[in-house]
Amino acid sequence: MRFDIRMSGLGGQGMVTAANILGSAAVKDGKHSIVIPFFGAEKRLAPTESYVRISSEEVYEKGEVTYPNVIMVFHEEVITKGKCYTMPFYEGLQQDGLLIINDSDEISLSERNTQSLKERNARIFYVPASQIALDVAGTELATNMAMLGALVGATDIVTFDSLEKAIAERFGERKFVASATTAALDDVLKRKYARAQELVEKNMEAVRVAAKSIKDS
Amino acid sequence: MKERKVVDPEYLLKEAPREKKFLIGNEAVAEAVKRANVDIGVSYPITPQSEAMHLVGDIYAEGYLKDYYRAEHELGAMAAVAGAAMGGARTFTATSGPGTLRAFEMFPCWAGARLPIVCAFMCRGVNSPLTIQPDNIEIGWLMDTGMLIFHAENPQEFFDMLLQAYVIAEQPDVHIPVGVCADGFFVTHTREIVEVTPEDEMLPPYDPSKSPCPTMDMETPPIRQIRDPFVMKSNYISYNAHASWQQEVRAAAERSRKHIAKYLGSSIEVTNPDAEILLMASGTAAAQARVAVERAQKDGIDAGLVKVKVIRPFPDKEIRELTENPKAILVPEHNIVGWLAREVMSRTDYTKVCGGPRVFGGMTMPPEVILSEIKNLARVI
Amino acid sequence: MIPKISPGFEDVLPVEYRELVQDGSYGRNLRIKDLGTFKESIEEHPLCAGCALSLSIRLIVASLPCPEDTIVVGTTGCNSILMPQLAIHNIHSLFGNQNAVASGLKRALKIRYPDKHKDVVVVAGDGGTADIGLSMTMHSWFRRENITTIMLDNEGYSNTGGQESSMTREGVVLYMAPLGKKYPKTRMFEIARESGCAYVAAVSPASPRRLEKMVRRAILVARAIGPTYVQIYCPCATNYKFSPSETLKRTKDDEQIREYMSSDAKELIERLGE
Repeated sequence: MRFDIRMSGLGGQGMVTAANILGSAAVKDGKHSIVIPFFGAEKRLAPTESYVRISSEEVYEKGEVTYPNVIMVFHEEVITKGKCYTMPFYEGLQQDGLLIINDSDEISLSERNTQSLKERNARIFYVPASQIALDVAGTELATNMAMLGALVGATDIVTFDSLEKAIAERFGERKFVASATTAALDDVLKRKYARAQELVEKNMEAVRVAAKSIKDS
Repeated sequence: MKERKVVDPEYLLKEAPREKKFLIGNEAVAEAVKRANVDIGVSYPITPQSEAMHLVGDIYAEGYLKDYYRAEHELGAMAAVAGAAMGGARTFTATSGPGTLRAFEMFPCWAGARLPIVCAFMCRGVNSPLTIQPDNIEIGWLMDTGMLIFHAENPQEFFDMLLQAYVIAEQPDVHIPVGVCADGFFVTHTREIVEVTPEDEMLPPYDPSKSPCPTMDMETPPIRQIRDPFVMKSNYISYNAHASWQQEVRAAAERSRKHIAKYLGSSIEVTNPDAEILLMASGTAAAQARVAVERAQKDGIDAGLVKVKVIRPFPDKEIRELTENPKAILVPEHNIVGWLAREVMSRTDYTKVCGGPRVFGGMTMPPEVILSEIKNLARVI
Repeated sequence: MIPKISPGFEDVLPVEYRELVQDGSYGRNLRIKDLGTFKESIEEHPLCAGCALSLSIRLIVASLPCPEDTIVVGTTGCNSILMPQLAIHNIHSLFGNQNAVASGLKRALKIRYPDKHKDVVVVAGDGGTADIGLSMTMHSWFRRENITTIMLDNEGYSNTGGQESSMTREGVVLYMAPLGKKYPKTRMFEIARESGCAYVAAVSPASPRRLEKMVRRAILVARAIGPTYVQIYCPCATNYKFSPSETLKRTKDDEQIREYMSSDAKELIERLGE
């Protein structure tokens, strides 16, 4: 199975981190993966996207995923205010593709968009990822973890085991480089928890709760 | 300084055990610099290069380099590595797009001074209007500076080419700078598997006594360099000195071919060379082209790919031979000027060469775009 | 390094090289007062008659405390025509980048010769130092590089035919200032002092003993403490259109002798008896 994933959200919501953790977990599962964040100047709350390609075969393509089979929307304004790099937000979604949206309630789409998604036979999941993050991990900064949980719940794309290892690696002692601003946010997140292990456990809990909510739905 | 083992370059490049890591291109750069036994790193921030030189700063703090600082601007950084190289040190610096242009006067100067500097270029678009996104137009300008130019497709190649660059640049019969280019973001910020050599094994130190020009350290005669200032005296000897010196720099680049063959293996990588439609691409355009070629073959189109890894010295002979038989040649590129198409056209029957598709300004080149061009060609040939 | 000639090779070496080895200034601690008694590292110049800049370079070279371990970094300008004839390693890279080149060079030499002083001395014109290269000049001072910067101030661009520079005095008519220069001479002495130079001096070749003392002090302070700056006034007979025979008088009339040293530098200079 080949996954071409696009994550759209606002700067600071952790799309880049989620993409890195997901790709890392896939590699730990013995798959091939290429992860690319695509950002303009790094600014919090600016439209931000990241892309992950995962396959059992070698992956070559670089750059944005133009024709995704999974789109993850981290913030409703991606849809309601067009804060994304493509218009409409599902542009390029493959037939039978998957949409995971961070919201507790369904967002009302225009008739044209609803029709277009129907023609593509898109499967749409709503998951209250920010709420789960707040309830379970005690911070909205774990929204991205809940989104990953929802993805795993819907696809079994990676194993929980590898995901936990990837999260531990990401927030462990070793310095991680995605971008300078991501590094600054890492420090904020780490200050919220007394120990790195606690951070990993809370994040994994957010992953599991979100995954279960999708499995149950 | 960190205790490390000096190893034979050929062993390090070809035989040393490799560990799999999941790295972005900029991390792969620092990993290469770590193993290259670099003396001095000089940095200046610019997106998408910055993280690479942050990390070189970090490994300096850990004791892998002997000196490191942030310069005043790219011209200052490139001038400082020139000074350090003239003083006999192995140096590293990196920049991107506008930084390349800000520093540009130094590149022919490095080549003319026969300095074996290795510089990474994380290619990005240039203004105006302002852009920070991937676009490799700067390679088109760097090609004629006298430097050797390599173009990496992915973080793995970026890592390998940087180490190969030091070994080739410092050969006494070459001894000119190498620019190792990679497309910004598509390589610098893309995370994928990179196989790296052990971090406690490094290249032997640079030996300035093998330089074809005297090191500026007052340790080597002749003390008196030049009797007359050939630059300024307008006579036959001064013109000739300058002319023959420029030829010598180009000759040094020619002499690098045998070392490139030894350490890089080849300047090109070919799949299905006898195809009717042959794609020629470098950098990440080659990655996208490879996917397009595979899909075209599945659709029954006879397509092949030549990936060009070394832009200078250009693989003239190989490209001439490979372009003889195909009915059409397609050259997809990540820039508006089509510098690779220009190079290919000047070495073959140009009527067969179709320059494109070209994607620039920062956008991705979907393999689907290349595939549709292949299909268009398949209909008309 | 003090060169020697391999026995048996004396007669095949050029006579000038042989003289430099046998009668040059390396390792002999010679001073300006000794000029005329030894083979100088610079003996001739291709510059104009009455050139105060070439005289300044002759005096600078004769003042070097350790010529056998000095590397001179120049830049484009009249000095770059003369420099290649210097019997000391010297670098010309670009117009204006001399202090950045010198920074990298000094750091490389510190790494390669940790137990030896290798003096890196920048000798550049006013255009190279205060105009096109100002940011690199100042940043080498901000970074506290252990290099000496000597500006040969002929108050204009002479090598390109006499254009106004920021070191030209207000009101002077030169090329590119057809109505006279509109603003005063750049205060490089003060800029150097405020930018971190431990020793700053202004002098001219009309006072050779003073020049020698200042150049030596600047180089010795740069070795031990930090960046130093010496500004040498050397008017251009050709572009300021005065008779070559008037050069010294003009230089003497207009020279300004100034000296600043940090407390560290003062202490060092006193200790060394300089």
